Amino acid sequence: MLEGKQNGQVFKLPKVILLATNITNVELEKAKAAGFADTVIMKPMRASMAAACLQQVLGIGKKRQAGKNMLNGSMALQGLLCGKKILVVDDNMVHQRVVAGALKKFEVAVECRESGKAALKLLQRPYCFDAFFMDIQMPEMNGFEATHPIRMMESKANKQMNGGMDKDSGRKGEWHVPILAMTADVIHATYDALNAGWMDVSKPFEEAKLYQVVAEFFKSTRSNCFT
Amino acid sequence: MDRYGMQNQIACIRRSLFDQGYLDEQFIQLEELQDDANPNFVQEIVTLFYTDSTRLIQNIELTLTSRPTNFSKLDDYMHQFKGSSSSIGAKKVTSECAVFRQYCAAGNAEACIRSFQHIKQEHAILRKKLEFYFQMMGQAAVAQTT
Repeated sequence: MLEGKQNGQVFKLPKVILLATNITNVELEKAKAAGFADTVIMKPMRASMAAACLQQVLGIGKKRQAGKNMLNGSMALQGLLCGKKILVVDDNMVHQRVVAGALKKFEVAVECRESGKAALKLLQRPYCFDAFFMDIQMPEMNGFEATHPIRMMESKANKQMNGGMDKDSGRKGEWHVPILAMTADVIHATYDALNAGWMDVSKPFEEAKLYQVVAEFFKSTRSNCFT
Repeated sequence: MDRYGMQNQIACIRRSLFDQGYLDEQFIQLEELQDDANPNFVQEIVTLFYTDSTRLIQNIELTLTSRPTNFSKLDDYMHQFKGSSSSIGAKKVTSECAVFRQYCAAGNAEACIRSFQHIKQEHAILRKKLEFYFQMMGQAAVAQTT
């Protein structure tokens, strides 16, 4: 990782999007406190939501007027997301296939793994992912546990860049991994927690609101390779 | 039946699946993902669901017959089942799964067994309906090319 930087390449840290069918207050608070997740997506993931959420967390996209319909938005999204590489981690094969299908429609390169362990194996060799879609509830290793090592890499990278600046963008090294947590059973009580610290797109979204949120989070991202 | 007649019939079948509560909007999401690059996407996902859920049904059945009842295991299986069924928009199946999980959480084995019968029923009914629907679509596709 450090080598990559020294060679003039910059590293990138993937965005982590969590998927969950059920999430308790305790889990949510834990995740929030850990700065773990920014975004929650309702499972099953609506196909149209997959790409929109991805765009949202990658911070790409232009400001749009409220009320612009999703069809035009979708086609625009396609161009923006083309070529992005995503890892989908979900132990439910059917849902995994749906998410992959949704992303592929936007010409996103998708890889799938059934477990946190299998996903982490990918991190052990050179890889280039723009985002992870991660199920929260998986046997053996849940989404939080699987993402923790990614967070560790992120902190390590931040420390190494501490005080330093990325020479091309002039940005200080402050990598933050936005996370979308998907849940089918959003508990009302946790909604405030979600809205407070998280980008909440878990409802069947209102398109105008979605574009507003995207516009707010507009920021340039660098596409880097993490080795 | 002529081409248009077939299309009308298919549209009616599809409409009724939604009107009668067998399918919800998630199924529409699957349909929207189907295109020239993925011409059989819906059918593939549905087939995957039935392969996956048949296995789960067998596991659940085994677990239900063991004593003492392993509610934790049952809940795990049902979590999977519900995850899959909701992913294809199988509305009735999904809500029966939710009922089962409530009984499971309450530790009510008898109710779980009864609930499971409902799940299997809905699972089988939907399968038949979808098979018929896909069959009709297949016939229509053939009719269009001839």
